[in-house]
Amino acid sequence: MAEFVIETPAGARRSLAVSGEFDLAAVEEFLSAALGCLEDAADVCEIDLGAVTFIDSSGLGALVRVRKAAHDRGKEVMLTNVPPAVSRLFEVTGLTEAFGTGSGG
Amino acid sequence: MPRRPLVVAVSIAVVGLVLTVASSWAAGRVDRNTEQRLLQVQTDQAGTVLSTAILLVQQPLSTALSVEKVAGPMGDTSAFTNLMSAQVGAGKMFESASLWQRHGHRMKRIAQVGDAPLMRPGDKTTVSFLQHAFGSKTFIVRAVTHDAHSSIAYAQADASTGFAITAERSVPANRRARVDNNSAFAQLNYAIYIGPKADAAALSTTDVAPSSLPLAGTTARTKVPFGDTVLTLVTSPREHLGAPLSQRLPLILLIGGVLFTAFASGAGYQLTRGRQAVETLYGEQRDLSERLQRALLPQSHPAIPNLDIAAEYVAGAQGVDIGGDWYSIVGLDDGRYAFVVGDVSGRGIDAVTVMARARFTIRAYLLDGHSPAATLGKCSRQFDISEDGHLTTALVGVGDSRTGEVTIANAGHPAPLLVRRDGVEFVTTTPGPPLGTGAATYASTTFTMTPGTTLLCFTDGLVERRTEDIDTGMQRLATTAAGATVSSADELVHHAVSTLRTDDARDDVAVLAMRWAGAR
Repeated sequence: MAEFVIETPAGARRSLAVSGEFDLAAVEEFLSAALGCLEDAADVCEIDLGAVTFIDSSGLGALVRVRKAAHDRGKEVMLTNVPPAVSRLFEVTGLTEAFGTGSGG
Repeated sequence: MPRRPLVVAVSIAVVGLVLTVASSWAAGRVDRNTEQRLLQVQTDQAGTVLSTAILLVQQPLSTALSVEKVAGPMGDTSAFTNLMSAQVGAGKMFESASLWQRHGHRMKRIAQVGDAPLMRPGDKTTVSFLQHAFGSKTFIVRAVTHDAHSSIAYAQADASTGFAITAERSVPANRRARVDNNSAFAQLNYAIYIGPKADAAALSTTDVAPSSLPLAGTTARTKVPFGDTVLTLVTSPREHLGAPLSQRLPLILLIGGVLFTAFASGAGYQLTRGRQAVETLYGEQRDLSERLQRALLPQSHPAIPNLDIAAEYVAGAQGVDIGGDWYSIVGLDDGRYAFVVGDVSGRGIDAVTVMARARFTIRAYLLDGHSPAATLGKCSRQFDISEDGHLTTALVGVGDSRTGEVTIANAGHPAPLLVRRDGVEFVTTTPGPPLGTGAATYASTTFTMTPGTTLLCFTDGLVERRTEDIDTGMQRLATTAAGATVSSADELVHHAVSTLRTDDARDDVAVLAMRWAGAR
């Protein structure tokens, strides 16, 4: 089982990278980091999903919550390096449109 | 169960008190042993001091005898008189001293200094005392009492010259006398007895009231050679001899132990009660979740013409938290029916409450005649993940049991599988976003089942595995369903669940199958 890890580049907390299994157990940690990223970002918070090995409905829910929080603040969330499996899950769950074209898969 | 905190508290109290009493008793015992040992050491020291004092008694007698050995045969008693005068008188060693000469069996006093002795010439006891002295290698001692006046009489004799010397030392009537201000006696109460027994009759001197004898409590004794007899010294401590802490330790342990026990007992009570409250709460929550789940899943299916309905719910293996998967089917008018399979993200009571809300909201719109797409569109405005923390996916459909026509709309849910006699096929849907993401519109998909076709709706727990993408799981389901030789919806559901479900699967699963027999 791949451990869920969040990395935030030193200095500018305008982006973060998550890796491992993005499930219910990871939601709280992710929300805390992502909402922090939103506070610091001028307009866009980049979330790199490149190393995510698995995401379940709780993980999808967390992404949706962050997106809604961004809209409430007049900001955007950009998902980058979305793995094909995650991108496919966005399609199946009708979330492709919500996460825009950032899903480069 | 409710008595457990009290049992814990009482157990701690009992154990604590037993340990406290035991340690206090042990400390007290150690202290008493130490006291006994210290007392014996001091008593032995006092005995040594007493031995020295006895030497001071004996010395003048021995010296006088030596002098008499030289001067005596010439009948000169002045040497004796001069020598003993220094030892006799008020505040000195003796009250009286006498020089005797043996003539056969008679004893003749040939000189005397000081007061009149209690041992008078001619008395049988005097003669016997002197004869005894001639038979002894050391000086001898007797207690002498005469008219309520007590003395200790000493005698030493030299058989080769026939001279003997006696001396008397009075004993105060109340026996109260400080033998010595020597520091060896400073911390002791004592009683000195002449002879080996500590009898009241043999009492020589003491520093306490004679009526309070014998000494009580912790006592020690020692014997000191005293002429032809011994002195028995019995002592008890006037004060605590050891370190003050050693004396107070048992009390300190007792008080400290009782306080600590009370504290630990109270803490144990509180902790146990707190834990019990948490256990009770957790149990109640689990119980409530299970009851909710049971209440929310249909116990039976409505009778719908030409439709064979089967469903199954399997809880996730992880913990006791139930998930938010559900299924529902309800009959409408004119042979139509509505069905829903949904999945609320997350677990536990929160997920179940959202599930209940979604289930009844969707059902109400469907019963009110709204289409699946309209139903989801209305619901999308009533759920917000920002408020309740959950995403809800749902597949909503309305079917007609007379024609086999089915219209479905999809809010982020896996597409259903059509299982025909000649093959399987996923229904192509246009999924809209899950409920909770915000207001949305949903597209409808309409298809017609041929007789004998089963529509299999499910939640992602049936196909999702952590190590592969969703399409792989969907394909596995299709293969499993295609390979099954089943003749009822129930058989298909059971086959799919038992084949695809792994024992360690974390997610829960809801499966709903509707097999249309065709119009009759």
